[in-house]
Amino acid sequence: MSSTDHKDSYKARNAFFWLAPLASVRLTLVLLSLSMILVFVATLEQVRIGIRGALSEYFESLVGIWHYPEQFWGGEFLHHIPLPIPGGYLLGGLLILNLVAAFLTRFQWTFKKVGIQLIHLGIIALLVGQLVTQATQEESRMQINKGESVNYLERFHGVELALIDVTDPERETVVAIPQELLEEGQRLRHDSLPFDLIVKSFGVNCDFNVSPSGSTREGLTEEVDRGVGLTANLAITDKEEDFSSDAMNFGYLVFELTHKDGSLGTWLSLSHPAGNHWWKESEKLADFAFQPIRHEGRLWGASLRPKREYLPYSIELLGIENEFYQGTEIPFNFESDVVLNMDDNQTRRALVYMNTPLRHDGKTFYQYQMNNAADYTVFQVIRNPSWLVPYLACIIISIGLLWQFLWHLVAFLQKNSSKSPKGA
Amino acid sequence: MNKMTIGQRIVFLGLLLLGGYICLLPFGRGPSFLDFLKDEPPPSPEGFDLEGFSRIPVLRGGRVKPLDSVARNTLLVLRNKRTALDAEEKKVSSIDWLAQVLFEPERADQLKTFLIDHDQLLGLIGKKLAEDGKHYSYSQLEPFLSQIETTAREAGKTEQEKRDSFDQNVLDLYRGLLLYRKLKHTLAPPPVPPDSMESLREMGVEQYFFDPQNDPDRTAEYRRFKELTQSVSADPAKIRMGGPDFSKVVFFVDHYSRANLWSEFFPVPPQAGDLKRKWLTVGQSLVGEEPLESSEKRKMDPVVFMDTLRELIELPTDQLKNRIASIRANQKMNPTALFATQYAEAIKLRTEVDPVLGLYENLGIAYRTKDFTGFNNTVAELREIGVERAGEEASTLSFEKAYNGFEPFYRSSIAYVFILFIACASWLFSTTSSSTQKNGGTAAMLRDSAFYLTAIVLLTHTFGLAGRMYIEGRPPVTNLYSSALFIGWGSVLLCLATEKFLRLGIASSMGSLIGFGSLVIAHNLSLDSSLNPSGDTMEMMRAVLDSNFWLATHVVAITIGYSTTFLAGFLGIAFVCVHLFGSISGKKTRKLDRTLGSMIYGITCFSLFFSLVGTVLGGIWADQSWGRFWGWDAKENGALLIVIWNAILLHARWSGIARVRGIAAIAIFGNVVTAWSWFGTNMLGVGLHSYGFMDKAFNPLMWFIVSQLFFIAVVYLPALVTRFSGRNNQFPQSPTKA
Repeated sequence: MSSTDHKDSYKARNAFFWLAPLASVRLTLVLLSLSMILVFVATLEQVRIGIRGALSEYFESLVGIWHYPEQFWGGEFLHHIPLPIPGGYLLGGLLILNLVAAFLTRFQWTFKKVGIQLIHLGIIALLVGQLVTQATQEESRMQINKGESVNYLERFHGVELALIDVTDPERETVVAIPQELLEEGQRLRHDSLPFDLIVKSFGVNCDFNVSPSGSTREGLTEEVDRGVGLTANLAITDKEEDFSSDAMNFGYLVFELTHKDGSLGTWLSLSHPAGNHWWKESEKLADFAFQPIRHEGRLWGASLRPKREYLPYSIELLGIENEFYQGTEIPFNFESDVVLNMDDNQTRRALVYMNTPLRHDGKTFYQYQMNNAADYTVFQVIRNPSWLVPYLACIIISIGLLWQFLWHLVAFLQKNSSKSPKGA
Repeated sequence: MNKMTIGQRIVFLGLLLLGGYICLLPFGRGPSFLDFLKDEPPPSPEGFDLEGFSRIPVLRGGRVKPLDSVARNTLLVLRNKRTALDAEEKKVSSIDWLAQVLFEPERADQLKTFLIDHDQLLGLIGKKLAEDGKHYSYSQLEPFLSQIETTAREAGKTEQEKRDSFDQNVLDLYRGLLLYRKLKHTLAPPPVPPDSMESLREMGVEQYFFDPQNDPDRTAEYRRFKELTQSVSADPAKIRMGGPDFSKVVFFVDHYSRANLWSEFFPVPPQAGDLKRKWLTVGQSLVGEEPLESSEKRKMDPVVFMDTLRELIELPTDQLKNRIASIRANQKMNPTALFATQYAEAIKLRTEVDPVLGLYENLGIAYRTKDFTGFNNTVAELREIGVERAGEEASTLSFEKAYNGFEPFYRSSIAYVFILFIACASWLFSTTSSSTQKNGGTAAMLRDSAFYLTAIVLLTHTFGLAGRMYIEGRPPVTNLYSSALFIGWGSVLLCLATEKFLRLGIASSMGSLIGFGSLVIAHNLSLDSSLNPSGDTMEMMRAVLDSNFWLATHVVAITIGYSTTFLAGFLGIAFVCVHLFGSISGKKTRKLDRTLGSMIYGITCFSLFFSLVGTVLGGIWADQSWGRFWGWDAKENGALLIVIWNAILLHARWSGIARVRGIAAIAIFGNVVTAWSWFGTNMLGVGLHSYGFMDKAFNPLMWFIVSQLFFIAVVYLPALVTRFSGRNNQFPQSPTKA
């Protein structure tokens, strides 16, 4: 390193000297080592709490608490010790600070080092992009039956109580009460509702079973005196939300409707994790899809359903294709043939299959599940406003890597060419 | 190399020739590299043309392949070997075994086809490992079939993670027995059980069955059935409840449909004009495929069924085809209509007995009567028809047959051991080199031969990978098995390059160690019943992985990342060995230490580059297909761990926090990280990449991790020793320093 270089870097260091402790390589090493622990632990924990559970406990938090798994060696004793694991937001934030500080204090803008700078700049962009994604990304699903058209998404987590006035065949009035308001003892009132609603109990997951008719229900459904809860004589027990990938979370809500003349009755509503139309498969529970409530000459329907987001466009399913390699159970194609109906009467036909999602209006619809016999398809729908950032980061990193490689190559060639005359 | 003595030259050439022989040429009269260059040998009139028989195309596991592959792969599942044993424990070649299973099952039942080496499982069939051995024939197991089945069903109820070794073994045996029985019945549908014969006689069905005394072969039965369907097709009024002809048709459609379940591969090539190019089983060729599971038949409405079927039969053929297609597309929840389409197809559309069925029958007869010319001519005919109807899919058959015989990875693994041996010998000679000049020359000669041999093995290894790519039409890494092959290949290639510049024998030895280790791992993966149930390591790709572009970029980059990280780790282990040896023998190893340190550093740079690029490419693939760049999936996280760990190593070196010893320790732990990412994440059974679930590898993985931690401990051992002993020496020295 020449002396002028030294001076320049000294100047830079001087201007941001107060950042020096933040910029140290030791800190980088510590943070990287902690990230190793975080990523490892969070991967292990996916077995227990699923990918979404691991996300919220470790990656999307400042600190996560980890217990050594009980089924491993020595688990009976070690399991009881709570170990704090630094979370993704903490480490990600600190790494960004560390890198930025290093940029300001230590990195030199010489041709030799430009590659290294660019690589680190790209990594900062990746980290920032991931933090933004983690905070803003939304995942939902969309299920369409063949020949039908759907204009809403359903969230994977979270439910809402929909009260729908279907008296007028031309026009439905829907009042959707979000999960946040469904707190025990809460009394809810809405201008469009001719009655008040009192939340008796609510939970995101439960076990339910049909008790023999004639026997009395106890516990959560004791007060239920109307609707399916009564006719099927259902007893339920509250359960913790299951975050695993094949989780089936049946949300439940016991609510009472009241009117100025007094109570109209108490209902039980259950949400089906795969969509409420599944209730129709069961004879006794079919009405959970739409529990009729007659009031003052109008017909209302109640259903507890996955939280919905309505779209300004709809998607119609023309057909599906589900093919397997002959004589195996290995699928080689899942394909949905759809038409996108946009609000200005424009339509667009699209084929959605593996590795080829439909992108529209900032959302990505990718082929998620499919039922060939029942002729429906399910898309996973993701809205990720910062999707471009990783691409930019990748370009920056690639340029950096290329620069670095070329620099070394040129140096190597120069060295060799200066050597060869000597040898000759 | 220039100053070799004559003796050294002779040894050098000898070693190279021996290595080349292992890599390329035949063991005894077995297959060799020359098989790829030679034409197929002409069939001899004094024997069965099994060579040609083994090249007949069939479809199994979604892929058109020669019968040779079917034979080898099934034996791999049943016996973990590619041969069977006869009663005297003599080897029977796989294709000979398959011919007997297909055409002379009574003889095949006597061959020792099954491997049972679990003592409790042997107890179940009343055998002892020490006395009765571990190889059993089907006829030996037959009396215990029902017992094995009940035990296996019981074991199947336990979750996969909780099964013990007995459960797993009994399940594997049961599946093996099923596989064997399916193979036996692929060309010959299982006969009707004798106890139902009485009622069939009353129905008048019996006279249709194949009669070994009077009929030349089974096609006679098939023809009688076709005559029956034609009479029904000509007179749709016969389709009524209790109609005598129609109930016979119903019986046979049912009978042949059930035979479809007893078919291990698809012998009948696609018919001309079939756009989907579907291969067929014997049953499917006669009556088509059941549109739903048989149990759904109970949900049919018999009256509507008769009406629908009659209506369909009355349509002209063209209209019938369209009508069937439309029912199958639009009435998927209507078992009555769906089954009617199958019957209509069997009665009116499948009017001919496919000539391929007749040819296979002739083949069987010729085999049993030892009619060599008949057999050989039929083989030729079958191959011609098969290749013609299979079209492009059959273009790699002969290559695959020769490739199967060549066993490039088996050869390579032997050669790697050979190289490791030579490289270690070179170390031994070099330690004594200071005393005599001659030994130094010998060491150099051994190092050179290890280097050139590595180049030769690499040819075979590369050819093995390229052959798979050619047969599959895919990039090199498609599953866990091929990732092991590729990791070994990548490491050896890098070692060869390193050894070219630093002829120390270290890169050669570590390369051959990794090469051998990865090939052994690959071999064990191919035997794993949960990963590879069909025994074919060239399985089809699931829809989501079906993208050659991403397989060729993301997967290859990640796998190179694995192999380079392993290589750096093994060089770390080499450092431990050199260092330990140095401190024991009291020799100075400082220069070698530094060289090793820079080798580890250079390779880790490579490794960070490839794992970073691979991970980022994976992110882009994920964004393209799932709409998110990063999903914290277990396998993604594993790759991220490798990236971070390599970054830690490089930063620790650049900042001077870790010196050679620290770098070596970090590199060795890199082995643990990579092993976790490669295998550990798959054992969790979660996430999008859990295509290779396996728990048998758990214990080996743990031992591997423990061994690596041991090496890390050892690398710091000399440091501790010098610290304690060095302290005493330091005091007298310090005044002079000051």
